[in-house]
Amino acid sequence: MKVYFFGTCIGSAAFSESLICSIKLLQHFGVEVIYKKDQTCCGQPSYNNGYYEETKKAALFNMQLFSEPYPVIVPSGSCAGMMMHDYITLFEGTEHENMAKEFSQRVYELSDFLHKELKVTLEDKGNPVKVTWHSNCHALRVAKSVSSSKALLKSLSNVELVELEKETTCCGFGGTFSVKEPEISKAMVESKLQDILNQKVEYLIAGDGGCLLNITGALEKINANVKTMYLYEFLAKRIGIA
Amino acid sequence: MNPRQLIHEKVNDKQLNKNLEYVMYQLQGNRKKLISERYGDWEALREEGKKVKQNALSRLPELLERFEKNATANGIKVHWSKDNDEANEIILNIAKENNINKILKGKSMASEEIGLNHYLEKKGIKAIETDLGEVIIQLIGEPPVHIVVPAIHKNRFEVGEIFEKHLHVERYTEIEDLNRVARTYLREEFHQLKMGLSGVNFAIADEGAIWLLENEGNGRMSTTVSDIHVAICGIEKVVESFDNAVLLNTLLIPSATGQSVTTYNNIITSPRKESDLDGPKEVHVVLLDNGRSGILSKKRYSASLRCIRCGTCMNHCPVYHKIGGHAYGATYPGPIGEVISPLLFGIDKYGYTLNLCSLCGNCAEVCPVKIPLTDMIRDLRNEKVKDNKDDILGINNLPKNNAERKNMEIFAEVATNPKKWQRLMWFIDKFAPFGKPFAPFINGLKQWTTCRAYPKMDASFHKKIKNMQGVKYE
Repeated sequence: MKVYFFGTCIGSAAFSESLICSIKLLQHFGVEVIYKKDQTCCGQPSYNNGYYEETKKAALFNMQLFSEPYPVIVPSGSCAGMMMHDYITLFEGTEHENMAKEFSQRVYELSDFLHKELKVTLEDKGNPVKVTWHSNCHALRVAKSVSSSKALLKSLSNVELVELEKETTCCGFGGTFSVKEPEISKAMVESKLQDILNQKVEYLIAGDGGCLLNITGALEKINANVKTMYLYEFLAKRIGIA
Repeated sequence: MNPRQLIHEKVNDKQLNKNLEYVMYQLQGNRKKLISERYGDWEALREEGKKVKQNALSRLPELLERFEKNATANGIKVHWSKDNDEANEIILNIAKENNINKILKGKSMASEEIGLNHYLEKKGIKAIETDLGEVIIQLIGEPPVHIVVPAIHKNRFEVGEIFEKHLHVERYTEIEDLNRVARTYLREEFHQLKMGLSGVNFAIADEGAIWLLENEGNGRMSTTVSDIHVAICGIEKVVESFDNAVLLNTLLIPSATGQSVTTYNNIITSPRKESDLDGPKEVHVVLLDNGRSGILSKKRYSASLRCIRCGTCMNHCPVYHKIGGHAYGATYPGPIGEVISPLLFGIDKYGYTLNLCSLCGNCAEVCPVKIPLTDMIRDLRNEKVKDNKDDILGINNLPKNNAERKNMEIFAEVATNPKKWQRLMWFIDKFAPFGKPFAPFINGLKQWTTCRAYPKMDASFHKKIKNMQGVKYE
């Protein structure tokens, strides 16, 4: 099976190793990965600020780039949600409406693709470890891929998943929200940190670069001894392919 | 105070933050528990609620006229008001005609919206709140912090202090004692009650009746002990049938407080009839438009009028938890407020509140009538910046944010130009590690690093994937 891999902007700027692991996972389960070298960003920065015309340009660029009918695999619920849901809204009633519909229905968040399409079984080769999980809002409510992410985590025999008390509450990232309303964002991430620290775990795992940048940065600022890791890097390491 | 200062003040009010967060999660928990234990198919019920309200809105003029006709036949006087001034004047005139200089109020957000208390006070009429939460904030001159639980930002110790100072009683801290103080104070007022005012939860067209929900009995007092009862009713509150109202009630109460039913349900069909022993001699319903028909005419936003004012969007909003309702500077705070305040009262006045959202989507997920609040907030951001301006109140008075526009244009340019994009990634890969000393001087990074360490970037992906085995790089 051939798929396109969409690395996302935050992924390729800050989580290169995690993206490599994402591709290794796909390859490990027999998928052939095509990487379009010209890819950029899904368009959320402008979209969420209301700049729809600018966003359409970025969206159209992607839709034209990933033109063959292969699945488009995205290692982020936020970007996947944008591409599978919001592209349709953006192009509604325009000449690109059908193109958007065709494109959107072959976008998959990587967890969903691994869990629901490939129905993978993960053989955990790591030592016993206690982790917690943060749900990205758009993964949870737009791409709806969180149940797959957690199912993959839970399937690892030596990993104990301790759930956050307020798992479904936003971490305060929200893209440009974090710099437009820094004080509110700060208050939000501080609550998230408290919840994470209360769980007494070794790792915080998340499936989205934005939340991870936010939470990791905030944990580091207070010198907390909880490590963070991108879901796909964690999975790849647990099954011994990274 | 400008919005930034107001937010700064509220986000740093630790007591407010603590009180709010505690209660909001409790309300969330109550709702979740009740829905999972007692409701077979809550999602199907939401879908029904959405349909009922949407259907009523699509026939609003017809249903309002039917309501007027049936209510009038029942002996209720129906008044129409297009804005604050008209509504206030109608209520003032009813008071004046009956030589009334004091009215008692059940909870009504519509009365807050039109600034009734303030208006009446200027005309020499005292409006006294009787809902416990409203009593507390009226004593300290604050507006409601939440549309359902108006004094939720004050804990019992603070309420004890307020009662001590303003009602001249001992300082109590136990809930029972505080309730007793409020009851004694209110009972005195109810003894002299001539004119009572309330809001309306559902106006039922087929019955010509209004339905009021409450938990304290103050609403029943205000609407039955008085000689005259005046109800203010936003025009979007009308539904066709009693069954419709029952359905919406079933959605509203669990969403609002996590109860299955309120302690009091006041369904008012007429003034006192000849054989009745009590009840008001006159019942007035003041139908209030105040910008609502303007929203109804906008396809993108008409669904916001489905709102049944349960407040669950606030209870679930992580931003609201941190700043509380006053930070929005509007009658209606939280996610629904971000949508309707700019539309009802002007995007030039309330456009800033649209920033108070991380687009997490929790509000839309729980809204009992499925208003797509997150999408509407994003769409209203779009109204602020798009070239062809739609007819949104105050849109032409908005200052242009040229810097942001320029940034977004640059973004679109880079995101559609692979060469520029790769150059950007190359730049991050090369120079991000050395950026730390400059962070305080770079806009964006400056704000980011106030509570986070300098970000660890790793933009080597492009370099790595080129040579990755088995990957078709094209």
